[in-house]
Amino acid sequence: MMQPTTPPTGPPKRKLSETVWTKLDRKATAIAEFTMRQYRKKRSTWAIGGVGLILIVIVLLFYIEAMSTGIESWDNDDDGMVDEDGSDWEVWQSDEFASRSVSGPMSDDDGDCMALDPFLRDDNDDGIDCNVVYIFNSKGELTSIEADPNVDEDPNESEFLEEAMHRSFIIGFGKFGYLFVLGMFIPMFLATGLIRGEQEAGTLHYLVGKPIARAEILMYRVLGFLGLAWPYFIGLITLSALVTGIFGPGDSIFRFSDLGIWFGVLIATFFTVMTYSIVFVTFGLVGPRFGYVAVFLLAVFELFMMLVGTAGSGSSVRVKALTSMSISFWGTEIINSTAWMVWGDYAFMNGQALLVGPYAEISLWAVWGTPFPTTSPVANFIISILVLTFVSALFVLMGQSAFKKRELN
Amino acid sequence: MMPDLNQVGEGQPQQEWQAIPEAPAIMVDHVSKWYGQVIGLNDVSLAISGGVTGVLGMNGAGKSTLLKIIVGRLRPSQGQIRLFGTDPFKNPAPYHRLGYVSESEKMYDWMTGLDFVTTLARLHGMTRDEAKERAEHVLDFVGLSDVGHKEIGKYSKGMRQRVKIAHALVNDPDLIVLDEPLQGCDPLARTTIMNVIRELGAMGKTILVTSHILSEIERITEQIVILHNGRLLALGNLHSIRELLDHIPHRILLRTPNPRELGRAVLPHPSIYGVRFPNPEELIIETNNLSDVHQDLPGMIVQSGVMVTAIENPDDNLESLLGYLIGGRS
Repeated sequence: MMQPTTPPTGPPKRKLSETVWTKLDRKATAIAEFTMRQYRKKRSTWAIGGVGLILIVIVLLFYIEAMSTGIESWDNDDDGMVDEDGSDWEVWQSDEFASRSVSGPMSDDDGDCMALDPFLRDDNDDGIDCNVVYIFNSKGELTSIEADPNVDEDPNESEFLEEAMHRSFIIGFGKFGYLFVLGMFIPMFLATGLIRGEQEAGTLHYLVGKPIARAEILMYRVLGFLGLAWPYFIGLITLSALVTGIFGPGDSIFRFSDLGIWFGVLIATFFTVMTYSIVFVTFGLVGPRFGYVAVFLLAVFELFMMLVGTAGSGSSVRVKALTSMSISFWGTEIINSTAWMVWGDYAFMNGQALLVGPYAEISLWAVWGTPFPTTSPVANFIISILVLTFVSALFVLMGQSAFKKRELN
Repeated sequence: MMPDLNQVGEGQPQQEWQAIPEAPAIMVDHVSKWYGQVIGLNDVSLAISGGVTGVLGMNGAGKSTLLKIIVGRLRPSQGQIRLFGTDPFKNPAPYHRLGYVSESEKMYDWMTGLDFVTTLARLHGMTRDEAKERAEHVLDFVGLSDVGHKEIGKYSKGMRQRVKIAHALVNDPDLIVLDEPLQGCDPLARTTIMNVIRELGAMGKTILVTSHILSEIERITEQIVILHNGRLLALGNLHSIRELLDHIPHRILLRTPNPRELGRAVLPHPSIYGVRFPNPEELIIETNNLSDVHQDLPGMIVQSGVMVTAIENPDDNLESLLGYLIGGRS
């Protein structure tokens, strides 16, 4: 039989250098670490993480397949030759021709315009023979293309479409794959029970019976979840960036130019996952009985808003205002803003789709997003982050309020 | 953000934070608790400071409800509760001085005992090293140092209870609240836990321990609170209550191969008013002075020459005590 030997001596007295922050740090680290370890021990964590990884890998394999197959150009002017006016891709990408009304002698690659009589070479009346005028509106959107005769009558669709599909893939994958599917479902399955699960398991009193405010427990538990979810997303997004960088169109070994947009996807995912996890934890707390129903309804709402937002993404402010009621909207705005910042020719490229035809338009239109709420991508980026942070803070307050009043029977 | 209640600096006394030093550890003031139409606790008032106090009551008497209110897990429907002068439901500050062992058997089975205690110690603001050191110390105190690295899921019931006690002691609390700590334990674990509780009481801690088994509490403390149907039935020294009990009708059960002869031998005793033979190997003595009979019984048995294999007091239990205290009412 064991007998008590010496009495406990009590925790060491605090040093003067220790502050309230030191203790908060310790408690925060303890709960966050504990939460991460708890997740690691659960089979559901590995199952959900594994499913997410498999989904991403499958989509990337489809992407590699699409990029390897290539897209055949067609003979737009029925002259028996293909792509004789090329794509003038490098010229289009230059700053000079991005986002403003401009004209340039760049598209009569085969010289069939210059072969015309001089008085027939300037249909667009800009004073320059055999060129194309790109008309932009005040928002920087390409509204029309006015070409001189035989100019760009047979552009290089293959080159354009591959680039368009590549970019559409990154943005679409970022929005639907990372923000919606993984960004929402992983917090839905793993974060909803952060507090509620403990209560149902009868172990919550171990945490709340300590000198730590319940509000802090809530926040540190979410922090622990994010400590696991964020690195997971970093891994998946890095994998995606590597695959699209290596297999994307172009002659270079790696498309470094896309890293910026992937960074945008990462930031968008971070904030969206944070917001969803806090919202779901709060739902679990506010409605212990109907928490999962509320979570499901929110998921349906978010899906609906994302579909509506995508369908009307390039159009009215009214649609934007409506869809801005959803969390996913602000995540997608971060990606849209990053696309505008990283790909300066993005609007220009969307306009070019008019040249190539409906197929190209659709490939961009599916993920296209006009800037909202301002015309500045930088401002929109910051505003989106602030909105998601505000929503998170709001739900933290709601969750705290519910948790503080919760009795643990 | 919470204020730094433990901050000390020049010109301040170098001591841990105390809410109201003169306040009793526990102050329950006309506390009631309803669960819908059901009354869990009914107008209970008591103040406890220092020593070991046993809370006795049958299942559903309100013991756990009282303890949950005391540790801030439940909010009273009526009345006030103060832990070191502070409402524990609204303010977690008193938890610095509280250790609580719940009746719940649920634990983090995937953790080792040492991990469990260390992690929860860190929630008191200790560093990782301090927490580990303290955890090792308290695990040693409850006799689990050799199995600290084993997963809790592999612990026996008694070991699980002891690790729960260890986690409650890790912050060196002034008040320790134990809800049915002996429930489901084997005799060895019971003895160990009772020794730990007694030792903690001897160290000057305020300890509140619940049980529905009178003999268990009796082995730990004499200071008791008896609850019945949510009401405070008695509060005081168990010995005094027992003296009162001695003078009410009691039964003593003796197991013997020759009950009739033994019955004849004891019947003349002035405090014995009857004997019964429930079966051929048992004798029941009916008395209205239990201590007198117990004093004389060994002599009478020796004098009769009858072998006795067991002596039991079937009425020496909580039910009898409650029966006496409520005078037949339920």
